[in-house]
Amino acid sequence: MTQPTQSQATRRSFLKLATAGAAAVATGPWVSRHAQAKPVSITFARESSYVKNFDVHFQNVMAPAYEKATGIKIEYQIQAAGGSAVPQLVSMVENKTGADLAWVQQEWLYRDALVDVSDIAEEVGKQQGGWYDEIKRLSIDKGKWKSVPNGNIGQLMNYRKDWFDEAGIKSFPDTWDEFLEAGIKLKAKGHPFGMSMGHGFADNYSWLYPLLWSYGVTVMDKDGKKVALDSSETAKAVEYVKRLYKEACIEDCIGWLDPHNNKAFLTSQISCTNNAYSIMVSAKRDLPEMGKVIEHALNPKGPTGQRYHALVPVTHGVFGYSKDPQAAKDFLRWMMDPKQYRPWIASGDMYFAPYLHGFDKVPEWDVEPRVKPFQKVLETGKLTSWPAPANRQHGEVINRWIVIDMFTKAITGTPTKNAIAEAVSQIKAIYG
Amino acid sequence: MVEGRGFFARLVRLYLPLAVCLVVMLFPFYWMLITSIKPNRELYSAKIMPLIVYQPTLKHYYDLFADTNFLLWTYNTMLVAVVTTVVSLVLGAMVAYPLARLNFPGAAVVAIGIAATYLVPQPLLFIPMADIINRLELGNTLRAVMLTYPTLLIPFCAWLLMGYFKSVPRELEEAARIDGASRFQAMWRVVLPLTTPGLLSAGIFAFTLAQNEFLYALIFLAKSDVRTVPVGAITELIRGDVFYWGQLMAAALLGSIPVAVIYSFFVDYYVAGLTAGSVKS
Amino acid sequence: MSEIFEVSRTGELAASVRRPLGRGGLRAFVERESVYSWLMLTPPLLFLLLFLGYPFIYGVYLSFFHKEVARPAAFVGFGNFVKLYDDPIFWQSVRNTIIFTGVATILKASGGLGMALVMNQSFKMKAFTRAALLLPFIVPTVLSTVAWQWILDPGMGLFNRLLVVSGLAKTGPSWLGTPTMAMISIIMVNTWRGLPFFGISILAGLQTIPVDLHESATIDGAGTWGRFRYVTLPSLLPVIFIVTTFSIVITFFDFQLVYVLTGGGPANSTHLMATYAYSLSMGAGQLGLGSAVALSMVPVLGLLLVLLTLYVRKD
Repeated sequence: MTQPTQSQATRRSFLKLATAGAAAVATGPWVSRHAQAKPVSITFARESSYVKNFDVHFQNVMAPAYEKATGIKIEYQIQAAGGSAVPQLVSMVENKTGADLAWVQQEWLYRDALVDVSDIAEEVGKQQGGWYDEIKRLSIDKGKWKSVPNGNIGQLMNYRKDWFDEAGIKSFPDTWDEFLEAGIKLKAKGHPFGMSMGHGFADNYSWLYPLLWSYGVTVMDKDGKKVALDSSETAKAVEYVKRLYKEACIEDCIGWLDPHNNKAFLTSQISCTNNAYSIMVSAKRDLPEMGKVIEHALNPKGPTGQRYHALVPVTHGVFGYSKDPQAAKDFLRWMMDPKQYRPWIASGDMYFAPYLHGFDKVPEWDVEPRVKPFQKVLETGKLTSWPAPANRQHGEVINRWIVIDMFTKAITGTPTKNAIAEAVSQIKAIYG
Repeated sequence: MVEGRGFFARLVRLYLPLAVCLVVMLFPFYWMLITSIKPNRELYSAKIMPLIVYQPTLKHYYDLFADTNFLLWTYNTMLVAVVTTVVSLVLGAMVAYPLARLNFPGAAVVAIGIAATYLVPQPLLFIPMADIINRLELGNTLRAVMLTYPTLLIPFCAWLLMGYFKSVPRELEEAARIDGASRFQAMWRVVLPLTTPGLLSAGIFAFTLAQNEFLYALIFLAKSDVRTVPVGAITELIRGDVFYWGQLMAAALLGSIPVAVIYSFFVDYYVAGLTAGSVKS
Repeated sequence: MSEIFEVSRTGELAASVRRPLGRGGLRAFVERESVYSWLMLTPPLLFLLLFLGYPFIYGVYLSFFHKEVARPAAFVGFGNFVKLYDDPIFWQSVRNTIIFTGVATILKASGGLGMALVMNQSFKMKAFTRAALLLPFIVPTVLSTVAWQWILDPGMGLFNRLLVVSGLAKTGPSWLGTPTMAMISIIMVNTWRGLPFFGISILAGLQTIPVDLHESATIDGAGTWGRFRYVTLPSLLPVIFIVTTFSIVITFFDFQLVYVLTGGGPANSTHLMATYAYSLSMGAGQLGLGSAVALSMVPVLGLLLVLLTLYVRKD
């Protein structure tokens, strides 16, 4: 009785593999040569938008319009939120293949791989009132624009006006000290604050860094060469946060990633947090009663008498490895043209605030009065790298949560002096 | 199996521990079920016990099917899981059998080599993996994951099967060979049937790992129509910091309960296989 | 046990063996233990070499280079490892990983063994129950972890609501809000998820034990515990060993769970080596440094490999 012997089966599978490998090698150069012709489609990668309408508008209105006008299909590649976009972008850049243009998160990692878009950016700036200065520090590298800013995700204090009124606090605290007092009162009534201090990327940075800045402290000096975190004001800021946590906050919040404060707010566990206006959006949709009593307020002032906000930028860049960067640039230019740009921004209910002065006073801001404060964020908003350049070292400090953990380590028992010293030495090691 | 006496013995030995197991393992699923039929306002309400729902709704399920490519994702996931499981089981058995039951030169090297493939964790493998996939022009196709998943699953199946292969007594195989069987025949007719429980276990786990995998699918499958359930759900049901909890939980349940139902048929099968193929030669 | 002393006997299979050596040359060759082994090994090894070899070597290579995203690599020898030596976050992640893996594995192994023993009895709806108990393992990790976010919520979560309602506590603990509780929480979720894996594998192992071994032990006078110790446990050892080893490796590298639940916080108390490597490579773009963290996992795992090899070479 004959059975297929092992050697036959082995030969067969080996041949299959070898042929596949040979075919791949042979078609490689052919495929890239072949693709010099006009592209049939451009792939645009972006993280899914908080406001679903924004994505829908793009997919159903803009992409078909562009295809009609130019014959080029736009592939809208939605990326998962919560930090998965960056690995995809990194992978694309390393392997020199992937989307043609994208929301270039953490662009300091790969600016060299992005195409010069100065012509587009400068034209847009001229046309639409000029760019806010701060965002130029992210998009311009060595004098060239490597990305075109699309909008800012504003982060402000979200609070329950009804509970604040009950506690006798008629207007939102203007200084951090008043903020603490308010928190103590509210916590006593069972409505603590919930200030995110965990390993997230937005809701922690959006108040802790402005707090530091308002105490007169920055992480680095403005050249990005010397660590500026070790100052006597830092200790004051850390002590303040410790008090705030112990006396005014819910215990959970030092472990909170970005979605946790939304959940806590919507389940009526906290009275105030720092967030974009996604909480109000969810409340209006699912909990209309709560939706009526949510308000937004600017970050409080510090001992320096200044208040600050943190910018969360959305910028678009074109990759050098793209088969037809010019086509991608043309699309980008078209996207930023007011005919397309303005309705698109409006479809997102101003969740993404343009970095252009031409939008400072547009009527779209008045549609929902509680969204209007987000426009003010642009006036005192700074990149988290401020005043230093937004480069890789800064990115490393952010991604290792060194300054955030300085606060949480002090909260969980490390003496303030040591927590600061540890953070400083780690930052020094990163900047070299 | 030697039986206990009477109801009380059974209660202590079986029903009580069984109940504990079931509650501990399954309470999150009850929560998922409730959440998937709970309207959002009840979900966020602090006054309602989490395990009760007052006005159940099928809206989340409806939205899941209507607003996302959930069915397509499910199809993709199952297809990938089946193919990769079969490939991994076959190739894994081909590794495990010699390592477990035969002596040959280089056995130690092979064993170390197979184990060494686990030394570099997935998060770091995926960049060069992406490179290979792109060179083979397989980006955004299911074939990309069909080729990469076995790299995770073959060593795993091999390890698992080695244990089962080892537990079949040598005498059986030797008896068959004395009766004139070739090695292959001895393996095919004697050892493999006896390790069917092991093969099914390995198969079940390979299938589960394949349909559960997240990182490679996230990187390689960027277009919605080739996504698998985990990636699709996370990408489209979580927008920034807004979670569509009801739909997420619906996806979780629909992605796991049918699989469990299918497994329950195999569980039956391998018990039968055991008692049939037994051991008194 | 080598080659060709097949005793010729009547029987259908014997016919294939009666051929003289010359004519059955190929078959005899294939029957040689070493040849047969390598024939079986070649297809899978080839596949793994092609698809895993290159990424693996690349990963090792990267750890000796200073490589940032989109920049060329520069050889630094052990430079990355020196940096890690001085990095307190790295050492914390090592500590966390060992604690996390150790405790979770012990819990899973003992829980799994218990579950397998319970499931090994016969009762109605057995198949369905067994499959149901697999659900924590089947459900996609990312989705079940999302569910656990709610279950562990301090005010709304199941645990704390039950604690408060039953009067056991005024308010429940903050499951993710203190370093200790956060570690307990991730161990708990990992155990919950992985226990069925142990359970079913051990169950299959239990069922591979020949019935007559149990019978002869009973005949010899062994009671339930005696049978467990002298028949069950020894027969299970190979399976338990393999499953535990595999689980240790997988748990060591666990990533999804921690990433979704805590991101490594609070204050790095749940940062594992895998999540740290990931945030270094992907977040900070330090591919070389991230690979170095991954490679640092080798010494511990290397020990396991040595044990495994000894196990394979024995008998």
